[in-house]
Amino acid sequence: MAIRDDFPILKREVNGFPLIYLDNAATTQKPQVVLDAMNDYYTSSNANVHRAVHTLAGEATEGYEACRQRLKSWFNADRAVITSGTTEAINLVAHAWGRANLVEGDVIVLTEMEHHSDIVPWQMLAEERKVELRYVPVLEDFTLDMDVFAASLDDAKLVCVVHTSNVLGVRNPLEEIIQLAHSNGAYVLIDAAQGVPHEQIDFKESGADFMAFSAHKMCGPTGIGALLVNADVFETMQPFMGGGDMIETVTVDGSTYQTNEHKFEAGTPRIAEAIGWCAAFDWMAKLDLEKEHKRLVEIARWVAEQLRSMGIPVYGRHEEKDSAVVSFLHPTIHSEDLAHLLDARGFAVRTGHHCAQPLLHRLGINGTVRASFYLYNSMEEAEYFVEQLKEITERFG
Amino acid sequence: MTYPDALAELIEEFQEIDDKMERLEMVFDLADEVIPFPHDQWTSESKVQGCQSEAHVHVELQDGKVLLLSGADAKLVQGLMGILTLAINGSAPAQALLLSPDFAEDMGILNSLSPSRSNGFRNMFDKVMREIRNYV
Repeated sequence: MAIRDDFPILKREVNGFPLIYLDNAATTQKPQVVLDAMNDYYTSSNANVHRAVHTLAGEATEGYEACRQRLKSWFNADRAVITSGTTEAINLVAHAWGRANLVEGDVIVLTEMEHHSDIVPWQMLAEERKVELRYVPVLEDFTLDMDVFAASLDDAKLVCVVHTSNVLGVRNPLEEIIQLAHSNGAYVLIDAAQGVPHEQIDFKESGADFMAFSAHKMCGPTGIGALLVNADVFETMQPFMGGGDMIETVTVDGSTYQTNEHKFEAGTPRIAEAIGWCAAFDWMAKLDLEKEHKRLVEIARWVAEQLRSMGIPVYGRHEEKDSAVVSFLHPTIHSEDLAHLLDARGFAVRTGHHCAQPLLHRLGINGTVRASFYLYNSMEEAEYFVEQLKEITERFG
Repeated sequence: MTYPDALAELIEEFQEIDDKMERLEMVFDLADEVIPFPHDQWTSESKVQGCQSEAHVHVELQDGKVLLLSGADAKLVQGLMGILTLAINGSAPAQALLLSPDFAEDMGILNSLSPSRSNGFRNMFDKVMREIRNYV
């Protein structure tokens, strides 16, 4: 398979068995072109960006800013702030927009499906600003209770919603959520960490005001992500991290700030990571992502059906737009034991609460085993996974 | 690292097995070696933090020797508790404190023993050692 050949790590063995990497919702593997791009930068162009006039600085600046341009063109966005990842991007909204625009009595609507990174920053802000948080529950069919959502919008200034659940793989009805929120005067933040790897998102067309995501879940490096911001909303944000690169002038009496995205990128940025992410975009651009996504969801749906037929509860529905995540709870083998047993056969899966404890509380469980599929995974790997799970169940269940 | 004789033999036995799944099976079997710590005595103080499983330990002295009572809902964790029980129960506290957590790695059970929030075994081991230290 051509895609698979681009990933050197997939040639390794784990515990004497070929690696079968099914922890893609946590992070994805990197194609050789990403590794080469980062290595080339450090080998031949390493310098700091934006200031010096020498050749290397120019090359570094060009590489870094090319990532921003790639983000804007890939997602159709006017403003793309480069961050350390989804978590920093959401915290940036809380500090740079929330502190400047929210006052006591305002409401932020969240959902029980959120990752901790889209809950904790708002809890911290709520405590500081006396802002009310309302949570939209998750129903038994693993979808958001849209009636409660609509009823929660009174006095709401911001709606924060996960594009696709990292536990369930459920893709939320964002179009309806954004429309309802805007018609009630609320801004919308989309946590798209699990969405961007699976869906080509048009930010402007979506109508969202903020969108946060990470490079490493879409074959890019760790340590870098982005916040896309609506151009008008961008003007209402105030810098919260001070330092080099974000200023126009500094005197002992005070400073003036840049007016573009640099205002929110104090300090030396993630240059090599930006260059690596650009290479990941270039690599992905050669694929038919829609076709690949369809293939992956079919694999996930098949695995879920197999597990259910074995009497293993699966949390998710695996509809067309959902991600290829299969979360399950073995009835007789503890998740931690199962993860170790699968590791003994070369499988990388994730166990635990997946940083989504309110969701697991709603589901009435403490954790799941999660197998998540991505571009380089095959149906053969899925079949082998089910086969090994059956053997492990027979031996240890 | 020199281990107590019983543990050294066990490590040797583990090292002779190539298949990690078989080694895990052996650890699971050693879960029976724990001296059970009754569920109704499980408290927030006895809980091992950072474990994906529910794991509890309690250390007391019996005739001046270490007595470890423990239990967990995951077999791997309870198996490691069983191995720890074989290694330190009946030892003087000062002697028990000499044990290194490296045995889990030497047995080919765990890949990483670095102290971290999510390393359940290491957190369990450190908690037991902390409790023993209180008696020294």
